[in-house]
Amino acid sequence: MATANMKDVKRRIKSVESTMQITKAMELVASSKLRRAKERALAVQPFFAALYDTMSDISADPAFSSVYTKKKFVRSTLVVVVAGDRGLAGGFNSNVLKAAAARIDELKAGGEKVSLVTIGKKAVEYFDKRGYDVTDRYSQIAERLDVYDAMDIAEKIIHGFRCRDYDQVELVYTTFVSALTQQPVTVSVLPVENLENGAKGGSLTEYDPSPEEVFDGLVPQYLSGILYAAIVDSYASEQAARRTAMESASDNAEEMIGQLSLLYNRARQAQITQELTEISSGSLRDE
Amino acid sequence: MQTFRLRIITPEKVFFEGDAVQIIARTSAGNVGILAGHSPYVANVLPSPLKIKTADGEESRTAAISSGIIKADKDGVSVVAEAVEWAEDIDVLRAQRARDAANKILEENRSQKEFERAEQRLKKALNRLTVAGR
Repeated sequence: MATANMKDVKRRIKSVESTMQITKAMELVASSKLRRAKERALAVQPFFAALYDTMSDISADPAFSSVYTKKKFVRSTLVVVVAGDRGLAGGFNSNVLKAAAARIDELKAGGEKVSLVTIGKKAVEYFDKRGYDVTDRYSQIAERLDVYDAMDIAEKIIHGFRCRDYDQVELVYTTFVSALTQQPVTVSVLPVENLENGAKGGSLTEYDPSPEEVFDGLVPQYLSGILYAAIVDSYASEQAARRTAMESASDNAEEMIGQLSLLYNRARQAQITQELTEISSGSLRDE
Repeated sequence: MQTFRLRIITPEKVFFEGDAVQIIARTSAGNVGILAGHSPYVANVLPSPLKIKTADGEESRTAAISSGIIKADKDGVSVVAEAVEWAEDIDVLRAQRARDAANKILEENRSQKEFERAEQRLKKALNRLTVAGR
């Protein structure tokens, strides 16, 4: 009995050890990917600030109007959902997907038609399986995302918006708050709103050919900028979440190994004690 | 000649930051050259070669720019674009592939939407090739 138990425990220790090797490796990979992802997420800031400033300046003029800023009666919404390509990242995917599903239900309850664009394999699978109306799917683009990918997606979305396939566009993704906290957020993308009114002196600026045309020319870039930033942000969050999850998995594995070793040593000790008792009782009988 | 502060910004990085004497860009209204002390000005830039002269007497450098904007104000000039590449850094093979792919779609006569997208891409690819060829 004792020997069988010892063998079992030994096998379990081995298996936990090999799992721990994997989680340790994943933790290291995630933390180096996180570092690069954070750099990319920071690099997009100046681009965004420059675009945003210009758009605010233009929209500060009361006479200004554009198809992209007009508030319409909303009957249909496009929701862009960004999730990860892989699992094993703690609650990362399920949190953002739940937030997206809740938002979609809310919109539907308001009587709106909702269509979806899914980015990231997990988002694609989740919404396809549940029979949502998904117009475009993008898998495996986050890790090697370049601007051209974001431009492609933005162009399609803008085309649909101009053709009035939908009246507003919202984006659900996970934002990187800190290495330990990642927060799913929903932002409204189109029509463009919430522009702070920029410098009123902006009216001195000469817009070539006109403020409206400059603004409308900017919107596709603004949108691809937002998408690029959101995907990069979400990717950084995914890596951070994975690192935390793998870190605690490794810790748990270590704790389990400790407990199992204790169990193993106890069993071994019990066996030795038993053998000794058997030997001494045997020799007693011989005498 | 006087210099001005020039910043070229893409989503991936600040592509260029420094002093320049002159910048020439192609806007929807035609080629525009900007020198130091320009009045406040904003325009859309088309996919085209962007010429930058960083100092007097120096050769101007050329970069391929996808669509973007150029903005001159009291702080200098900023160019904000989705993608900018120096002529010498352009991956000619990749640009050729993009051109061939776009051409193929145009020939296949697909939907209007795809046609327009392919046309845009063709313009960008051709622009990169012209800039690189120089």
